[in-house]
Amino acid sequence: MWKKIINLHLVEYAIAALLRQKSKTVFIVTIFVSLISLLLSFFFIVNSIKYELSLTEDTLPQIILQNQKMGRVSDIDTALVDDLLQLEGVTDVQARVWGYYYFSNQDIYFTLVGIDSFENIYKKGFTLFRDSDELEKDVIYIGDGVEKLFSKSYYKDFFNFVTPDLKVVKLNIAGVFKAENRLESNDVIVMSKANARKVFGLDDEKATDIALWIANPKEIDTIAQKLKQLYPTYKVITHDDIVLGYEKLFNYKSGVFLVLFIVTLFTFFMIIYEKMSGMSSQERKEVGILKAIGWSIDDIIKEKFYEAWLVAFFSYLLGVVIAFFYVYILNAPFLRNIFLDSNDYAQQFELPFIVDLQTLFLVFFLSVPLYLASVIIPAWRVATLDADEVMR
Amino acid sequence: MIQLQNITKNYDITKREQVIALDRVSLSIKEGQCVVLKGASGSGKSSVLSLIAGLSKPTSGSVMVDGKNIAKLSDNFASKFRLENIGFVFQRYNLIPSLDVYHNIITPLVPLNLTDEEIQKRVQRVLSLFHIESKRDIKVKNLSGGEQQRVAIARAYINNPKIILADEPTANLDKKLSLEFIEIIERLKEEGSTIVIATHDPLFFGLECVDCEIELQNGKRV
Repeated sequence: MWKKIINLHLVEYAIAALLRQKSKTVFIVTIFVSLISLLLSFFFIVNSIKYELSLTEDTLPQIILQNQKMGRVSDIDTALVDDLLQLEGVTDVQARVWGYYYFSNQDIYFTLVGIDSFENIYKKGFTLFRDSDELEKDVIYIGDGVEKLFSKSYYKDFFNFVTPDLKVVKLNIAGVFKAENRLESNDVIVMSKANARKVFGLDDEKATDIALWIANPKEIDTIAQKLKQLYPTYKVITHDDIVLGYEKLFNYKSGVFLVLFIVTLFTFFMIIYEKMSGMSSQERKEVGILKAIGWSIDDIIKEKFYEAWLVAFFSYLLGVVIAFFYVYILNAPFLRNIFLDSNDYAQQFELPFIVDLQTLFLVFFLSVPLYLASVIIPAWRVATLDADEVMR
Repeated sequence: MIQLQNITKNYDITKREQVIALDRVSLSIKEGQCVVLKGASGSGKSSVLSLIAGLSKPTSGSVMVDGKNIAKLSDNFASKFRLENIGFVFQRYNLIPSLDVYHNIITPLVPLNLTDEEIQKRVQRVLSLFHIESKRDIKVKNLSGGEQQRVAIARAYINNPKIILADEPTANLDKKLSLEFIEIIERLKEEGSTIVIATHDPLFFGLECVDCEIELQNGKRV
């Protein structure tokens, strides 16, 4: 039955035709595969990072209150926690101690997070603590990326933090955590709040900011508004503001990249169209011969369709395989730095494996049918001419 | 079998300039006849062959083959007509150089989607008929002119057409090979084919197997 639908002799002829023009076929396949794999790699990276960001969103507090001095974020009084807990609708309030620590050996910043064993702020993300009581001792837990950078500087068991007043705080490395969200946690060092305050030189009654959790998410804006009225000099940031900030930055980067890709893709099809529409005299003559020996326009178009389909589909499949290998096995060297910070953490962050069929279909429909058209239309134009005119 | 009635064929050189290839030409060829169209280059011989094959349409007049007006067939029907009725031997063979003999010969069979057995049967028949069995897997670019000519004839004959059209078939052959070609033509005539040869090669003039010679000059029948 299918042999009647697909003329295998025509397919065989198409394969022979492609092999006859090896250099042209290899040229087109190379460009096609490069573009498909680059475009898919881009989408795979975007999807993976978006997935990671969606995990980040789940762990974010609903409102953050920050103190400001001279337009910059400054430490905040922990005494405010009790006042905030009195607000209607607020279920939990935590004074957070966190910040960035400059590690001069590697010229890089770590994110230091101080947590108390009774706090549930970070538990959702960091689930692999052996014993939360251990945080009370002088220990730290470090992210994957930090571990790799520490070992480069031979810090295997402990690390010496230098405080602003140049004192050394030695903390033992108790373990490495692998958090659910690797993008965020990769550069994180977790320690007790007391130790974090020591490292940052922060007074006991001070914190970096205050995080609030609200019972009813619909009331977040109302409570945020109330906080702005109560504390006009403080900055109130809602969950949506933070997510929007992430997305703005990320969408900007991916948008610029996407525009570049569309321009490249368009250029590719212009080149292909140019190449095909100016069918060589040899190709035009072949079409004429085929017509002269009895091939119809339909037969010629079908043959050209098979040729184009074989090139496009093979290139597409190869492009998909290369993109998967590049992104998920090689972890997308070079390209990932466009979307992630080009520091060592970003390089160590493994992109989670996300297969999005929509993306695969989108790239397929963006490339294969366009290529088919760019081959078939010129062939049709030649095939509709009188055969003796084509051969002349 | 073939009747051209008052055929005129003009080709556009530019939008304003035309060349008259055939000027009110009429001729008639009966089934099984071998006819030679003779005349100098540019006399219109090839245009007559193109019209009989349905490769081009006349500017005016009618081309009747087996009672059908070829000039009025649509492009796809004209192709079907050629596939079933016409075997064309071109001046420069017009083979596909990078394909082997076998694949060149089966090219007209490709659209028919025949079974492999049927294809093998037909190929074997023409390879044997034109004595090229041993060349089956050789690329045609590696064959001599005479061998290429025989491959071209085998390709034209693979569908067992009623009409064989040959356009300057010996233009690129030496005398020995030209005589071999004439032998092949005699054999095809014995098989019952109607043959039309456009040539200015004197070897074809006055041949026993040729039933009629038609001379063209500047697009007119002399």
